[in-house]
Amino acid sequence: MRTFKFGIIGAGRLGKIHTMNLMRISGVKVKVIADPQLEAIKEWTDNLGIPKVVPDWHSVINDPEINAVVITSPTTFHAEMITAAANAGKHVFTEKPLSHDLASAKKVLALLEKTDVKVQVAFNRRFDHNYKKIRDFVASGQIGEIHLIRITARDPFLPNIEFVKKSGGIFFDFFIHEFDNIRFVTNSEVEEVYAGGSVRWDPEIKNAGDYDTAFAVLKMKCGTLCVIDSSRQAVYGYDQRMEVFGSKGRITSLNDRETNVELKNHETVTMDKPLPNFQKRYADSFNAEMQDFVRCLVENKTPLVTPKDGYKAILIAEAATRSARENRTIKIEELEDISSLLNG
Amino acid sequence: MSDKDKIRVAVIGAGRIGKIHIENLVNKIPEAEVVCVADIQVDKTEEWAKKIGVERVISDPTEAIQDPNIDAVVICSPTNTHADLIIKAAKAGKDIFCEKPIDRDLSRIETALEEVKDAGVKFQVGFNRRFDHNFRKIRLLVKDGEIGDVHIVNITSRDPNPPSIEYVKSSGGIFVDMTIHDFDMARYLTGSEVIKVYAVGNVLVDPKIGEVGDYDTIIATLEFENGAICTIDNSRKAVYGYDQRVEVFGSKGSAIAYNDRPTNVVVSTQDAVYMDKPLYFFLERYKESFVQEMQDFIDCLKNNEEPLVTGKDGFQAMAIAVAATKSAKEKRPVRLEEIL
Repeated sequence: MRTFKFGIIGAGRLGKIHTMNLMRISGVKVKVIADPQLEAIKEWTDNLGIPKVVPDWHSVINDPEINAVVITSPTTFHAEMITAAANAGKHVFTEKPLSHDLASAKKVLALLEKTDVKVQVAFNRRFDHNYKKIRDFVASGQIGEIHLIRITARDPFLPNIEFVKKSGGIFFDFFIHEFDNIRFVTNSEVEEVYAGGSVRWDPEIKNAGDYDTAFAVLKMKCGTLCVIDSSRQAVYGYDQRMEVFGSKGRITSLNDRETNVELKNHETVTMDKPLPNFQKRYADSFNAEMQDFVRCLVENKTPLVTPKDGYKAILIAEAATRSARENRTIKIEELEDISSLLNG
Repeated sequence: MSDKDKIRVAVIGAGRIGKIHIENLVNKIPEAEVVCVADIQVDKTEEWAKKIGVERVISDPTEAIQDPNIDAVVICSPTNTHADLIIKAAKAGKDIFCEKPIDRDLSRIETALEEVKDAGVKFQVGFNRRFDHNFRKIRLLVKDGEIGDVHIVNITSRDPNPPSIEYVKSSGGIFVDMTIHDFDMARYLTGSEVIKVYAVGNVLVDPKIGEVGDYDTIIATLEFENGAICTIDNSRKAVYGYDQRVEVFGSKGSAIAYNDRPTNVVVSTQDAVYMDKPLYFFLERYKESFVQEMQDFIDCLKNNEEPLVTGKDGFQAMAIAVAATKSAKEKRPVRLEEIL
């Protein structure tokens, strides 16, 4: 059986998660990790026995032995790295978003459509047990035609301000998962977006031109109306809920908890808070998405989540950002002037 | 309690809602007495009223309003009669409970409320959901500071079935007829005023609703003076029943009200685990709230206190509804000051 040799670019939180998941897949070898902060990751890479650790990502791209790269660097590097990897004939698993803005995302998409390599964008929610079930139920027709979708997405604590400044804003960084999930569940495209936000926690976020509390309203081409509410800080934990309402019923996903244990005493009845962060909540989905990527390499299939999906999510994120800034409804077609790119 | 101390009430309009109020006043609120009922269908109403012990049924509401032996009127007649009746009742010095909406025209509401103010009578609007046990609890949690500052309010309201097309035609549109409850709920829970409204609608349940110029599925967002954001979703048809849920999210946590069910029995079989669907429609779901709001109104009259839900609340909710209608039509956010 063929062994796929992987190079990991970026050994931050997600880079570590992806590396460890890859190492559990047979037929896969993690040969090299590139990260500018070698000292910081030395102990971790030593413990895992990673053969090669380098400061410069170019050596990963230039290594002829490497079949596939995993990109988890900051968003501003994605376009450059994906392009280089694809041009060097490497398959690519890239963290979301595809790129940091619409223009560069368009360029990357155009280039990738001309290459043969498999590229998967890490919209891991598609692989989550709850959201996958919702999607399958909807696909089976048991909910009928989808009329309304409600999503609540709240982080447990504020991101640090340095991160916020480079994140592209809450719609690019946080909402983008939900934009992709909505496309996944409805199997439709967004027609128009209205979004808004406020700063309720940290004035520094306002200075950085971002929001910490926000909402987006999407109207889909299939008619579905969607609303997403979001906060960067929910004191009780990582709050991720989705509800799909249709002509035949309603399906809801609530939060996963550590245990289902309930405590009752003379004062109150309590249960576990939701799982506290994305690492715990989506652990299985990170595993599942990586397994699926490898399966696509082995079976020579197109990944479930492609650069086109990455681009379309960015379109919606850009529309939401502009809508909030300009206080108006944004039609997606306003932003799409290369419509031929998206045919087929 | 001697009859002399009871608040003497005339109920105008004995339709669905009127009958509920009459029955509650007669059976559940000892501090009040229904002295007379006015309804254009005198005979049918008389037959019904006699069964619960209300003797006097007349056709002309003005007669009831002018009666010196009446302290307060409860207005449950069609919306287009409200403003006139309010003005007459205020001029006659009667306290007033008026079903929502006060009127569909903001300037007519203003005129009626001016009369109320000049007369110094008490005025309560029938936004009964404020008196529902679940939503009132959430409001108390907010007031007590348990949720902290309110950041996000999410409201879901879905009917089990749309009203008839005849009704839809004269309803004023979904925002005025249905979402208006949620607009009032949002003001109630945030304790603040709306500055901006955005709404989008679609016709997904019944094309005939679209043909008469209305929507059956909507989303509305409200932005408040205190920074709170509210999202509302409505549908005219939820196959599983009347769906009424509210979440308030703030700096200290979140509170959610789920649907009340007929029983809390959970059945587990080889095939599935299931429980009751929600209570079917507003009459069952809000039964208690209709009693509470009327009890509260009567208590305010007895204790000379301001009602919890006033003319201003009625006006503001309608203003938001008008803004939402405009927003959905023109596909843009609408600042409330454009409407006021």
